[in-house]
Amino acid sequence: MKLAYWPGCVSRGFTPELHGSMALVAPKLGLELVELDRASCCGAGVIAEHNQELADTLNARTFALAQGVDGAAGMMNICSTCQGAQSECQERLDADSGYRDHINGTLSDQGLTYEKSGEWWNKNFMWLLVEEIGLDKLAAKVVRPLEGLRIAPFYGCYIVRPTHRLGFEAHPNRHKYLDHLIEILGAESVSYAGSHKCCGFPVITMNRATSLRQAGRHLADAIDAGADCLVTPCPLCHLNLDMQQPDAAKFVERDLDVPVLHLPQMVGLALGLEPKELGMDKHVVKTKDVQVKVAEVAAA
Amino acid sequence: MSILDKILGRDEEPADGDGPKNEAAGYTLKIRRYDPESGETAFWHEYDVDIAPERSVLDGILYAKDHEDASIGIRCSCRAAICGSCGVRINGKSALACNTRISDAQAKAGRGKPIVVEPMGNMPVLKDLIVDMDAVHWKKIQRVVPWLLPDGEPPEREYIVPAESMIDVTQSMACIQCGVCVSACLSLEVDPEFVGPAALAKAYRFVGDPRDGQTEERLRDLAEDPHGMYDCTHCFACIEVCPKDVAPMDQIMRLRRRATGDYEIKDKNNGYGHGKAFVDMIENWGTLHEAQMLPRSFGDGSMIKGQTEPGAVKQLVEALPTAIRGLKSGKVTPKAVLFHPKLPDQDNVRKIYKAIESQGERLELNLYIVADNSADEEGAMAEGTKEGLA
Amino acid sequence: MPQHDVLVIGAGLAGQRAALAAAETGASVGVISKVHPVRSHSNAAAGGINAALDPEDSWESHAFDTVKGSDYLGDQDAIEVMCREAPDEVLRLEHLGVTFHRSDEGKLGTRAFGGASAARTYYVADITGQALLHVLYEQLMKHDEVTRYEEWFTTALARDDSGRLAGAVTRNIRDGSLELFTAKAVILATGGNGQIFNPTTNALICTGDGIAMAYRAGAPLMDMEMVQYHPTTLAGIGLLITEGARGEGAHLLNAEGERFMENYAPNKMELASRDVVSRAEQTEINEGRGFPDGTVALDITVVPRHRILQSLREIVNVGRDFAGVDITSEPIHIKPGNHYVMGGIKTDIDGQTDVPGLYAAGECACVSVHGGNRLGANSLLDTLIFGRRSGVHAAQMGRGMAQPTPAGSELAREREAIQSIISRDRSGRRLSEIKAEMGKVMDEQVSVFRDEERLRGALEVVKRLQEEVKTVAVDDKGSVFNQDVLGALELQFMLDNAECIVMGAIERKESRGAQFRTDFPERNDDEWLKHINLTADGDIPAVSYSDVTMTQWEPEERTY
Repeated sequence: MKLAYWPGCVSRGFTPELHGSMALVAPKLGLELVELDRASCCGAGVIAEHNQELADTLNARTFALAQGVDGAAGMMNICSTCQGAQSECQERLDADSGYRDHINGTLSDQGLTYEKSGEWWNKNFMWLLVEEIGLDKLAAKVVRPLEGLRIAPFYGCYIVRPTHRLGFEAHPNRHKYLDHLIEILGAESVSYAGSHKCCGFPVITMNRATSLRQAGRHLADAIDAGADCLVTPCPLCHLNLDMQQPDAAKFVERDLDVPVLHLPQMVGLALGLEPKELGMDKHVVKTKDVQVKVAEVAAA
Repeated sequence: MSILDKILGRDEEPADGDGPKNEAAGYTLKIRRYDPESGETAFWHEYDVDIAPERSVLDGILYAKDHEDASIGIRCSCRAAICGSCGVRINGKSALACNTRISDAQAKAGRGKPIVVEPMGNMPVLKDLIVDMDAVHWKKIQRVVPWLLPDGEPPEREYIVPAESMIDVTQSMACIQCGVCVSACLSLEVDPEFVGPAALAKAYRFVGDPRDGQTEERLRDLAEDPHGMYDCTHCFACIEVCPKDVAPMDQIMRLRRRATGDYEIKDKNNGYGHGKAFVDMIENWGTLHEAQMLPRSFGDGSMIKGQTEPGAVKQLVEALPTAIRGLKSGKVTPKAVLFHPKLPDQDNVRKIYKAIESQGERLELNLYIVADNSADEEGAMAEGTKEGLA
Repeated sequence: MPQHDVLVIGAGLAGQRAALAAAETGASVGVISKVHPVRSHSNAAAGGINAALDPEDSWESHAFDTVKGSDYLGDQDAIEVMCREAPDEVLRLEHLGVTFHRSDEGKLGTRAFGGASAARTYYVADITGQALLHVLYEQLMKHDEVTRYEEWFTTALARDDSGRLAGAVTRNIRDGSLELFTAKAVILATGGNGQIFNPTTNALICTGDGIAMAYRAGAPLMDMEMVQYHPTTLAGIGLLITEGARGEGAHLLNAEGERFMENYAPNKMELASRDVVSRAEQTEINEGRGFPDGTVALDITVVPRHRILQSLREIVNVGRDFAGVDITSEPIHIKPGNHYVMGGIKTDIDGQTDVPGLYAAGECACVSVHGGNRLGANSLLDTLIFGRRSGVHAAQMGRGMAQPTPAGSELAREREAIQSIISRDRSGRRLSEIKAEMGKVMDEQVSVFRDEERLRGALEVVKRLQEEVKTVAVDDKGSVFNQDVLGALELQFMLDNAECIVMGAIERKESRGAQFRTDFPERNDDEWLKHINLTADGDIPAVSYSDVTMTQWEPEERTY
């Protein structure tokens, strides 16, 4: 399947292991990724907060670039925040033809137009796995079931709320896909209070306490529920849950030390890729225990 | 049974709800009871209720009160989602009991399982499903100076104001003060002092009202408050649960837009700095340069000017170990910190910035007012299905 | 013992407006409400508020429409006061912050409403009552000189030795404590009594508490038989579809697709006054031209979609959430349903009742501006005008007066009454069963079409239920938020209301406004152009009559 591929900023910045692991996983799934190297940041909601039209125009440009990829089935992203911010812009662009024409007017001298279409889509890797590839096909590709691993799904916000904007009418179970993926890859999905809550990242520079108390609380809940690690489809969540974890521990006044995987890393492990090539050594919280467990399963 | 079957089998949820799962018993409500006079902690009790699928969860609770135990405490009055009394949590989700269809609640609970009804979150429980709104919600509403403060004496007749501006603030005026967003707010969960979604939406009701004369003061107040407009984590929980499409978080974002864009309020919480740094970076490079995000955010958004607030310096220092950890773990290289590539055609991104900034006025499309001028069926998607899954 | 110059009971629009007006004169004011003020049922008045504010319009025209709408039973002096003062009141509310709809020039804009000869209804989408209520509550939050007693339930009024009003006995719902409040004046603003009917558009709190308390304290009730059935309510649950829908152009259709109002009100069609439209609908249904579920259809799809979404958003939600109907694309089934009581506590134009020191305003009062039938968008106006006037008058009246001393032992008596309900063991039926029987008989026998026989039957049921409720037991034995015991008190209030409605309906042997007697199908000005007053008097209310005040409009035949 050929896809216009938007990796986002953070996967090529502070979480290069995400970008790297996606690149390795794609061919195993038969995905041909055409990277949108001219596209700009989605704005993460921050640009829209500053100027809605600016965010809408930048994302309309990204969509137009994606629509220009010959033979692509659609556009894929690997960041929940990109998904949420882009869906928000797309909702406005699609709601009003006058507004859409105005935005396209700004893009016209670049030879770009965003076309509203019921056929075209922009899906996060998590959605794509379930809806375009299919759990059964994915199951068939598993060479190293993640048996014995207890994984806590961390969905975050942007990919589950608000449901009216995120396609839940057509796909009412999108809030359970991580659980499904964890289980189809052979691991056990851990249920805990924070799975669909906020990692706190958006206010990390504005209110560190509010931000890291959220991250810390959810990590602690996952640990208490017996998780070996977490998995998330959002690199911004990863920043707060992994990179900031030592500080989050201080805010909730307890030890945490639980690794957090990116979704393509988890998929990659089950498809037989090695932890090191998936960048699992580049985490702040060491992933050694997870690696050991995975190795044990492979040996058994 | 394969794992796949297990997943799919576990997952049979009709999106629209297909009526009672157990015809004989109708529905089962599992209600969290609490009697402050008993000296006991809260407990669960299940009630079988026999009502039609299109009736509400509130009707179910009233059925239980009428037929089984009238001591179940719940505030309720209008039955039509206008008085805002009956906020509860249904299967964990904050909502008005009166506009949650019982068959939908059953579908969410899952086949054969009881519908779980609890009091709202983030507020102390007084009895059963009744929470102390005064202690949290109304205190916060009072905090935002919730009345119009016009400049000078009123005109002889009405204030002349643009028609759209009145429709625009009618979105926040539509708030019925039910507290459902307060119950769902994820920032409040960790910071009880957060002014919160309902009160901030109420604040926008005045900030957006052209008759109000204290716009800048209101914005400054809420920008400088560490628990004010910049304490919202943008989690969409309030938008998701609001029964009146007030979209409190959108109103908070509009407060920020007004504070930074119209008044350039350089707050000590770095709200202004963070936004400006972000927006400027994309203009420079097209993508985010995280390594510069932190230093640029603190202060007024520009590292070069470096006019940082004392509070900002403290926060910057606190954040430094994070950057060092990034370098240590090998995920961030020193080169990446110093150098960030521009997009191949960054000029095109800059052109967009220029075009939009040259318009002078910010263009904002509010889907609450836009009743769609595309084909009607498209508008139906944007407007009509909003609460389809709520 | 809390003391105030003016004690307002009820904090909907009339109560809040009264409190603010009294406080502005410097009086000490307490407002008691059994629910948080913004939960009050004024919220539900969706469509708008009438005022002849446009220079092209005139208060006389508004007044005439109101007089005609009332089927000439409204007191014309009171109607003149209301219509004259309407424009200033609307402007006042606009200045306080109500986000009224604007015209393209930024001025106040209007919509059409039933029974009106001009488009003079000012509105905020279809949340006008809510917008007004919340703005007044903002003012209450601003003026902390008004003491608010939120979630306090008043059980009885208290008088002094001379028979003048001296206060009220009130239960703090949060802890169950009972207090005797004293005041130089008490203003009842407790709203309507729709809950005695089932179904009804009214909220669960609309139980006629103030009407019953005033009646028990010796104040006459007037025109209680005048109960409005609103033409567009959802079958079954009774929820309201605003008249604003017809104001925006929606049609009424019978099951044959015929726009039947042509046969009943060829000029005003769907915008004839409510009694006329409701009777027309009920006739269609009774004569077999309705739908099998006992309804006719309201077709809003003829209104442009953007206009519906902009100004009828609330009923889009009601249709979707409560009837499963997208009103922008298909007609919705509706029927006449209980909505409003024109009658109530008899007052003068300053809200004074016949009991010194006792005032009433809003739906619980009968000034009378609505007579036999209230026009849409006059109820909000009524609450504000007579709420304000009551507040001002009560504050002035109390100036220089000594704080009265309640006589006797109201507090002890009420405490005992409540305790006896709580401690009683169950025998007989549940409260909910008694309430259900009352609601059913009232809706079946005291609604759009009435006759002597069925009214007598209803009275018998009500009298029986009054006896039955005296021994009813409750499940909740606690003090904190004991809603069960309050439900028992409310049911007693409701049964007093029900008795008076049925008595008035039996008494009025003619058809006027909302009262249509199939056994007396004509209006009879010679004998019945008068108010019916009911006063508590042992087992059955004492009946007396008072004149309708006429100023400039003689009764005419009423056509639309």
